Amino acid sequence: MTHAARQEPAAADGSVVRVRGLHYAVNSRPIFEGVDFDFRRGSVTAVMGPSGTGKTTLLRLITGQLRPDRGLVEVEGQDVSRLDRAGIYRLRRRMGMLFQNGALLTDLDVYENVAFPLREHTRLPERLLRHVVLTKLQAVGLRGAWRLMPSELSGGMARRVALARAIVMDPGLLIYDEPFVGLDPISLGMVLRLIRRLNDALGLTSIVVSHDVREITAVADACYLISGGRVVATGAPGTLADSARDEVRQFMHGLPDGPVPFHYPAPDYAAQVAEARR
Amino acid sequence: MIAALPRELLASAGAALTTLGRYAIFALRLLAATPRGLLRFGLVVQQVHNAGALSLVIIMLSGLFVGMVLGLQGYDLLERFGSEESLGTAVALGLLKELGPVVTALLFAGRAGTALASELGLMRATDQLAAMEVMAVDPLRRVVLPRFLGSILSMPLLAAIFSLVGLFGAQLIGVQLMGVDAGQFWSQMRGAVELDDVMEGVIKSGVFGVACGLVAVYEGYHSVPTAEGVGRATTRTVVTSSVLVLLLDYMLTAVML
Repeated sequence: MTHAARQEPAAADGSVVRVRGLHYAVNSRPIFEGVDFDFRRGSVTAVMGPSGTGKTTLLRLITGQLRPDRGLVEVEGQDVSRLDRAGIYRLRRRMGMLFQNGALLTDLDVYENVAFPLREHTRLPERLLRHVVLTKLQAVGLRGAWRLMPSELSGGMARRVALARAIVMDPGLLIYDEPFVGLDPISLGMVLRLIRRLNDALGLTSIVVSHDVREITAVADACYLISGGRVVATGAPGTLADSARDEVRQFMHGLPDGPVPFHYPAPDYAAQVAEARR
Repeated sequence: MIAALPRELLASAGAALTTLGRYAIFALRLLAATPRGLLRFGLVVQQVHNAGALSLVIIMLSGLFVGMVLGLQGYDLLERFGSEESLGTAVALGLLKELGPVVTALLFAGRAGTALASELGLMRATDQLAAMEVMAVDPLRRVVLPRFLGSILSMPLLAAIFSLVGLFGAQLIGVQLMGVDAGQFWSQMRGAVELDDVMEGVIKSGVFGVACGLVAVYEGYHSVPTAEGVGRATTRTVVTSSVLVLLLDYMLTAVML
């Protein structure tokens, strides 16, 4: 199947994922308050923001694991919140997702982990299945590790195996949740290059959630910076890096103090110390 | 404080009912998924191996010792009435109808039930279940159901092995050590034990298999995805399964007597 044939109708503006007026709260604590996103076909888009701002929640809303309180989450022209379970599963077959820790199935070896979606969704003959799995493992440089168990893999290798598994069904949309966490510089460089290379070679649309500014801006075509339940900046990585806005500058340049304070809200320091002495 | 007691009792009763309702819905979801789950019988067989075959050593060892104790106690009791030849019958009925299913279920809850609950809990904590969901694979059908069915199939098999080894243990003590006539031991047993007695044990162990399997997969699947959460789920599995087995045993015995 060619990539052109596989692609589903998207919104007229070329967005594979379109989010409009998204509201979502957890235990009455607002996570998103009317945010908009557009993830364009063929692009690598980074979603950045401080910890706890709802980056992973956004991915869960896109994959239909969560439903928005209000607003539209549209993937390949389909309103995710209106799909039933079967519809969501059909949609997910055209998505791949890389979890923060890889989320490999620990009772299966590398080969079976990558083969897992194929065995569940297709009836490919074993020879063809083997060919597809080895091709994907070759793409991430781990064909030689096909018989290793997840416990025998380093963090970077596990992430790459998970990436091979995420692309084994030839998805149109690939979602990465914090793909660089805990990786050494070599593994990080490998994963970074893979994100760009796979996106371009396979004609994917990639959404990368990360707070590793330098790494992700090196490969992203567009960036969103979210904080406090809203999008505080959007544009090309260079635009965000040169922004004069305090909250954008603080995040992009890793400044310890700014709109996001260094100190957690606390009573007056001297008064608290004096109280402790009494 | 006393005035608050009825309110607390009501709250506890409400929470218990809610949990019961959740169990019922979960069981119904498993039941609905069973026909398609059985089509992939290989996954169930794998779980019979994990839950059943790997519990064999503890089941056989326990069966042997329980049988030996029954042999000793039974001989001591029956000798007082001069009917020690009935030892085989007494031990066989005790094992087949009661001790085999109950002790097997308690051991199963401690060994396989905790393993199931912690395995599912860890799969939740390490995003393996979420990854399956995103891969459009229903974890309930792919992971939970085979483990549940595996438990149901394993329990009667393990109970049968427990009872057989127990009989061997009782024979070892009664016949070899205490000098009960081997012919009397086996022939009285053959004459007194009927198919209904065997079926009672099979039904009990099947029901215990459903109970222990359901508790283990429910607690593991719904565990809080932290180390503490998985630990609590494991503990709840043993406690709930054990109490449930004893409660069900009384109810089944009352019905089948």
